[in-house]
Amino acid sequence: MYNLHLSAEQLEIRDTVRDFVEREIKPVMLKADRLDVRDRSLPMDLLDQASQLGMRTLALSEDRGGVGADALTSCIVTEELAAGDADIAALLSETSRLGHVLFDQVMTDAQRDRFLPSFLENDRYHLAVADHEAGDDTRLGVNYSRPVAIVRDVKTMATKANDGSLVLNGMKDCVANAPVAQLFAVEVKIAGQPGTCFVLVPADAPGLAVRAHERPWTHGPCGELELKDCRVPADHLLDEKAGELLDHVNISSRGNPLFQALNLGIARAAYETAVAYAPIRVQGARPLAEHQAIAAKLAGVAIKLEVARASIWQAAWASDHAEAYADRSLSDLPLQAITQVFTGEMMLEAAKDAAEVFGAMGVMRDMPLQKYVHDARVCLHTGDGASDAKLRIAEAIFRYRRPSDAMPRAAE
Amino acid sequence: MDFSLSNEQRHWQETARKFADEEIRPISLQRDAIETARETWDWDIIKKGSKLGFRTMAVPKKWGGHGTDFVTQALVMTELAKADSAISKAFSQNWKWSHLISHACTEEQKERFLKPFVADDTFLLGKGITEPGAGSDSRLPPDDPKFGLKLKAERQGDEWILNGEKAYIANAPVGKLFFIDARTDATVPPKQGTTMFLVPRDTPGFRIGKVFNKSGWRFYQNGEMIFENARVPHANVVGEVGGAVRKAGGRGGDTTGGDLFGDLELCSSALGICADACETAMHHAKTAKQGGQTLFAQQIVQLKINKMFMLTEALRSFVMRVAWEHDQKIHSCNAGLAMNYSTYVVQEVTELYMDVRGGDGCRMDHHTDKLCRDAIIWSHLAGDAVQQMKVARRLAS
Repeated sequence: MYNLHLSAEQLEIRDTVRDFVEREIKPVMLKADRLDVRDRSLPMDLLDQASQLGMRTLALSEDRGGVGADALTSCIVTEELAAGDADIAALLSETSRLGHVLFDQVMTDAQRDRFLPSFLENDRYHLAVADHEAGDDTRLGVNYSRPVAIVRDVKTMATKANDGSLVLNGMKDCVANAPVAQLFAVEVKIAGQPGTCFVLVPADAPGLAVRAHERPWTHGPCGELELKDCRVPADHLLDEKAGELLDHVNISSRGNPLFQALNLGIARAAYETAVAYAPIRVQGARPLAEHQAIAAKLAGVAIKLEVARASIWQAAWASDHAEAYADRSLSDLPLQAITQVFTGEMMLEAAKDAAEVFGAMGVMRDMPLQKYVHDARVCLHTGDGASDAKLRIAEAIFRYRRPSDAMPRAAE
Repeated sequence: MDFSLSNEQRHWQETARKFADEEIRPISLQRDAIETARETWDWDIIKKGSKLGFRTMAVPKKWGGHGTDFVTQALVMTELAKADSAISKAFSQNWKWSHLISHACTEEQKERFLKPFVADDTFLLGKGITEPGAGSDSRLPPDDPKFGLKLKAERQGDEWILNGEKAYIANAPVGKLFFIDARTDATVPPKQGTTMFLVPRDTPGFRIGKVFNKSGWRFYQNGEMIFENARVPHANVVGEVGGAVRKAGGRGGDTTGGDLFGDLELCSSALGICADACETAMHHAKTAKQGGQTLFAQQIVQLKINKMFMLTEALRSFVMRVAWEHDQKIHSCNAGLAMNYSTYVVQEVTELYMDVRGGDGCRMDHHTDKLCRDAIIWSHLAGDAVQQMKVARRLAS
């Protein structure tokens, strides 16, 4: 059985988002003064509208008031949004993803009762996970195929106060959505306990300060948290399975490739801009579209987009259907990591080729092409990078199993 | 075969290296970060460089310049570009057009234009070819008279009246004298109907429009030129009427003129960026740590560093060979091929550099980002494919 049909509902969602992007997002985000990659201010009105269309609560189950989108549908929506604007896509996708993890998978009933109503009511209620600290080294790198445990040294501490509440102290860095998030899942160490756990921290918790990063190398807003005797009730502690679920690239690298869908949307925007321009720009006495040099280049871009989408959709579907790995329908390799490398490398090439069609205009800050190239570069060089993903894939190929008693690696 | 440099060449190289390290590099990132395109420029560095000869080095000694050979120009270009390829371009842009003045202008024109150029540290040159409707068309002029440049020049007695627009012109916002290609006969293909004029900045009816806001090469200014009944004396025609394309270095024309040096300029500038990327990547790989060891301990990092140096040194050989061939007056398509090759190399090497550097969490090092932005410009100097086809057609002719 092999079926590539989208459901009627998936098609309808895609059309709705595509229409919203064309009618609302592009006219605002393609204005010359919004195309500078250094200005990442957010269009709050558009985000409100997107929220009302359900894109903020997309992955949250229907029972709990969301759209109940599966991984594939979420990827389709992210691609469409990113074809309009990468920042909007990143912000909404992260909140949608975390909405599902937090409210559907890890919160207790009491926690859900406390936070879900505001999440549903407030179009500007965004979510963030704070699991990164300055100096964190999460790469496999030199420890490829070596029995060294890749453990991070989490310095943010939680202690129990006399009244039972949790008191948090520390700094978190590179927190996606931080400047707009109303609720954070903050990774902490509890003194005397092994491992780490996550604590729910509302944006207005006393002792929490949020600072936006200036010009981060990310999509969407990003910032740092400072927790100074930040006090939250004891029952804000999340279930211990939260860690794996909140992680963007989960340990098996078989998660939902949302970020790759975002990457695809960026390259598609570059491609569509070039395809619209090539028939109208005349050089060499003919429209560009009639020149082999341009035609072959854009055909090459189309090929990259189609193959990238196929690999993203496969990984997305697989992330919801673990049984397809188990029954050997799918290769046992980490499909998310595979699509991460492929889309990262291919989409930058695609954006650059599309930009070339515009000649000098391709590098001007008041034109969109330079932004697409920059945005594609951000996708390729965020997180641990494509080289590290290749090493993780290689460990899977050779079935390397890190021994359970692996020594923690030396501190730097 | 002899790859050694003369004492004079070595001296220029060392002076350039010192100036690049002490004066250019310290302001490079700071200038790159300035938001407004018009404000990235700094006359101070131009004046300092000019006093060392970097503005006038291509002018023959007879006219008060330094009369350096192409090998020296390639060496200096590489050193300056290693510190900042946008700042170095502000200098080398003048070399291209001083070649053109020396080779294509009359003695009377040289007297009028070359002398003041040499005397004034802030006298910069430019050339206006590209127009909003003629980008690739100015690299590969079509045979149909309907297409190509539109800027029109009409003779009125002893004057020519220019009307039209140029776009993306290097040094336009800061230059004092420009070579302008204009159509003087719209009934024949641009190759035959285009004439080159010398147009001083203060020509009545000529003004500079916007400064283009580029993502890379921030320092160096590209601007719009607007001609509204601009009056240029007939005495400012370069060569003969209808001879612009030939003079600019077409086959059988002046092959040591601007166009040919343009290719050498770009490939040696790319070489400078690559040399900077290699050196910085190596330093980073040997000092930054991951998992308690230097990055360089990893095979995948060693392979990237190897590729960066391999491509850079191959480019260096090609650049120096082209410079040497120019000095020997050997006419070939190698300059064009080296320019094509440099486009590939500068982008590949800067991308590998970014790869070695990696992201620092959610941030990217400014220098790394700048080199990648600067390198992208190479495929937008008309369009990579157009530049390749142009050379292929020269090879076939």
